[in-house]
Amino acid sequence: MYGKEITVADREMVEERADQMLREAADADVAFLVVGDPFGATTHTDLVVRAKNMGVEVKVIHNASVMNAVGVCGLQLYRYGETISIPFFTETWRPDSFYEKIQNNRRLGLHTLCLLDIRVKEPTLESLCRGKKVYEPPRFMSVNTAISQLLEVEELCGGSAYGADSLCIGVARLGSDDQKIVAGPMKKLLDVDFGPPLHCLIIVGETHPVEEEMIEFHMIKS
Amino acid sequence: MVKFTVEELRRIMDKKNNIRNMSVIAHVDHGKSTLTDSLVAAAGIIAQEVAGDVRMTDTRADEAERGITIKSTGISLFYEMSDESLKLYKGERDGNEYLINLIDSPGHVDFSSEVTAALRITDGALVVVDCIEGVCVQTETVLRQALGERIRPVLTVNKMDRCFLELQVEGEEAYQTFSRVIENANVIMATYEDTLLGDVQVYPEKGTVAFSAGLHGWAFTLSSFAKMYASKFGVDEFKMMERLWGENFFDPATKKWTNKNTGSATCKRGFVQFCYEPIKQIINTCMNDQKDKLWPMLQKLGVVMKADEKELMGKALMKRVMQTWLPASNALLEMMIYHLPSPSKAQRYRVENLYEGPLDDVYATAIRNCDPEGPLMLYVSKMIPASDKGRFFAFGRVFSGRVATGMKVRIMGPNYVPGQKKDLYVKSVQRTVIWMGKKQESVEDVPCGNTVAMVGLDQFITKNATLTNEKESDACPIRAMKFSVSPVVRVAVQCKVASDLPKLVEGLKRLAKSDPMVLCTIEESGEHIIAGAGELHLEICLKDLQEDFMGGAEIIVSPPVVSFRETVLEKSCRTVMSKSPNKHNRLYMEARPLEEGLAEAIDDGRIGPRDDPKVRSKILSEEFGWDKDLAKKIWCFGPETTGPNMVVDMCKGVQYLNEIKDSVVAGFQWASKEGALAEENMRGICFEVCDVVLHADAIHRGGGQVIPTARRVIYASQLTAKPRLLEPVYLVEIQAPENALGGIYGVLNQKRGHVFEEMQRPGTPLYNIKAYLPVIESFGFSSQLRAATSGQAFPQCVFDHWDMMTSDPLEAGSQASTLVQDIRKRKGLKEQMTPLSDFEDKL
Repeated sequence: MYGKEITVADREMVEERADQMLREAADADVAFLVVGDPFGATTHTDLVVRAKNMGVEVKVIHNASVMNAVGVCGLQLYRYGETISIPFFTETWRPDSFYEKIQNNRRLGLHTLCLLDIRVKEPTLESLCRGKKVYEPPRFMSVNTAISQLLEVEELCGGSAYGADSLCIGVARLGSDDQKIVAGPMKKLLDVDFGPPLHCLIIVGETHPVEEEMIEFHMIKS
Repeated sequence: MVKFTVEELRRIMDKKNNIRNMSVIAHVDHGKSTLTDSLVAAAGIIAQEVAGDVRMTDTRADEAERGITIKSTGISLFYEMSDESLKLYKGERDGNEYLINLIDSPGHVDFSSEVTAALRITDGALVVVDCIEGVCVQTETVLRQALGERIRPVLTVNKMDRCFLELQVEGEEAYQTFSRVIENANVIMATYEDTLLGDVQVYPEKGTVAFSAGLHGWAFTLSSFAKMYASKFGVDEFKMMERLWGENFFDPATKKWTNKNTGSATCKRGFVQFCYEPIKQIINTCMNDQKDKLWPMLQKLGVVMKADEKELMGKALMKRVMQTWLPASNALLEMMIYHLPSPSKAQRYRVENLYEGPLDDVYATAIRNCDPEGPLMLYVSKMIPASDKGRFFAFGRVFSGRVATGMKVRIMGPNYVPGQKKDLYVKSVQRTVIWMGKKQESVEDVPCGNTVAMVGLDQFITKNATLTNEKESDACPIRAMKFSVSPVVRVAVQCKVASDLPKLVEGLKRLAKSDPMVLCTIEESGEHIIAGAGELHLEICLKDLQEDFMGGAEIIVSPPVVSFRETVLEKSCRTVMSKSPNKHNRLYMEARPLEEGLAEAIDDGRIGPRDDPKVRSKILSEEFGWDKDLAKKIWCFGPETTGPNMVVDMCKGVQYLNEIKDSVVAGFQWASKEGALAEENMRGICFEVCDVVLHADAIHRGGGQVIPTARRVIYASQLTAKPRLLEPVYLVEIQAPENALGGIYGVLNQKRGHVFEEMQRPGTPLYNIKAYLPVIESFGFSSQLRAATSGQAFPQCVFDHWDMMTSDPLEAGSQASTLVQDIRKRKGLKEQMTPLSDFEDKL
């Protein structure tokens, strides 16, 4: 595969022009490279379904993903509950369905991995309504934004699934040399500067003593 | 020469019982502006001698030239009534001084939106009807509109001079004609039963009908004559008025009143004996210059003429004599003051029509009580171009509180939703102004119950808005106006010189402000479109655009085109499904036509997004046979959130449905504005969301995924439900003599029109024809009709309904499909429609 030309496939190409890719794959080898594990997020399963329906053979090479690399912060991967995503809130769109899931995880004493919204080459909603695509500038959600949105939803739903004092771990640029991991109560993490993207967040559930020892390394100094 | 000062005017503004806000409404050419003149003359703004010729309220050059009113014009007038004339007034009053805020409105149907804007800010209406032509189509339209807004009407039978001079009608015949006119008007009014407003019909014997000759400046009500005769017969005025109308006859030979004609030669109807014939006698004497007979007669009537006036001859003499004897202003003013409500009276029942919020909050209460100390509630109904080019006055009515120069106000635009920040501004009023015909006077402040013009708000108000005090953040806006006409005729404009484009863009913005109805939009193809109610309306708009708003830069105008609507004939033949771009979300939908009459009910605002869901579900279940539970599941209306299409949720037990509701609604707003056939608005379609499959994670079911999917599934369901085009149809009313009928039928046939009513006007050789005519065929209709009838027939076209075109737009070569292709071509779209397979995904 070395020396082959690479086509950068943005979301639009993968979602709307995948047929083209699959057609070419019918009688040639096409490598489709993704960030993280191919099945880390659900988006690519549909591609496999379609390929198989067209009789295209699919071979998967697995990769590290946030789903396993997050183990670095010290919490056991066995003890994670349902993973959730936190989207950027807009004036009118403020989905809070993740709240219920966090609540369920917390009830069972599980940790919750929160993936934070990434908006790259997303058409603006206004342009969607007008039918012509104008793209938003890229935006990546920071741990700080995520926590403030979480606290807003908690206030709205009032189910005390978590609060400003709940222990969380903020992770930035996981797996890179300058990764940053900080643990602490939500209200303290609000003011921590995690630097450039990408970020994710873990809401800590019930902990094992060894887990606690690991977290202690990252604990914010007060 | 103005008889009153601004200070006097301002003082009366505080006396809310002594104010009358009224509009003058009528069919085109029935003499509104002319009649208005005599009122203006009486207030001393123009000279009595020229009243009837000046048309004070036609302030524009083109209005004067064409002899029709185009824009409604407000004018504030001050009158001092005599004790004598007010002695029988039973209502509340505060001294003898009265302020009349009068709005003269256009009669041509193309300018009906101006009438709507005028009615909103008035409480009473003077309906002017030509005594010979009678109640015409536009009389009916505006009257219905007035009653819909709870505006109390009084009637004047105008152009009386025609009876005496042109037609020389005998008394009994004239009586029959007049009573028919009044009866026709009452037939319309009787259909409005409103317990709060009471009986709105008009009766000459109760003083709610006047008889006038606007051109000559005289008028009377039966009370004018009753006053003269009451003492002579020794009965009171009310009794006398009753005798002067209806089946009451008097025989001077026997000096007896009967309620039947006794057959004796001298026995005549009261009205004829005591009103019509004396006038006729005076007029004839004047016209024949029999001055020796005239002076004694006048002396008997107590009419005193000045020396120089005695020198006049013929018509001029007649006009002067009549004006002195029966001045139009006295009769009309008395009628208005006695029978039209003051703001404090009218707002008590109008508050329900006006205020959108709860009827028991402080704002509703302040409006109901017309409380000058309450919070400001002001409705801006139109924007008036100011003399310095490019600026506009915001013209409206203060319903409660007061508005003052320099005050900070909260401006709630038509798209404002309480609690949100959309379409909301806080700005200062630079100046408050009152209108006195052609000129304006600044005043410190204007209290509730009055009309007002404001300077400095034009940047923030497009066409209309509700204003309140800066701090009143929980006030709801005043209900938007409902227009009786819609902008169905469109032209594309471009500038001759490309460098004028900025002027055009700016000009279109100003045009949109200056007219309550006109729509200025930009097409996909970059074309600038102007949409208006009819040919004449567009013509005036284009002229304004070029001359006033673009400084005379030349523009090229396309031939007019008509907008269509897209609808469906049946329920979708199957449930269609579309997948989101990431394929993880699926929407299932079906389309079906709305029940008959429901689209109209939405148009009329009887059903809409802001209704109480209980009331809405009651109407839907009782009138349209909807299931009660289903009626509660309407997600939205569209396009523009109020249009005659809707999305209904038929899903059962779908999780997170609420999260995607907004996205579906956004997709629907877009799709219903630009249908799948030719990107015309949809009409009368109900989209049922049958099922929804969503991705487990919120990020993967955001707007970016769901909005385009909603649009696609809506298009797919439209295309599977036998889509059809709707074309707009005019109701045409034509009055013409019998010998012109052949020509009329000929032209109508040629233009796909059909006549559904032909009636001879009783007592005249004129026929009244009503027909339906597709709007698309109406261009040049007037001129062809004139040519075919040698100028004897004048049509009045008013938008009536949408008519379904029977041919199938999906069938290649059909009339509808050719039409779709033409529209698409014009809009710069692909000529071929996007096929269903592009919108629908298969499992």
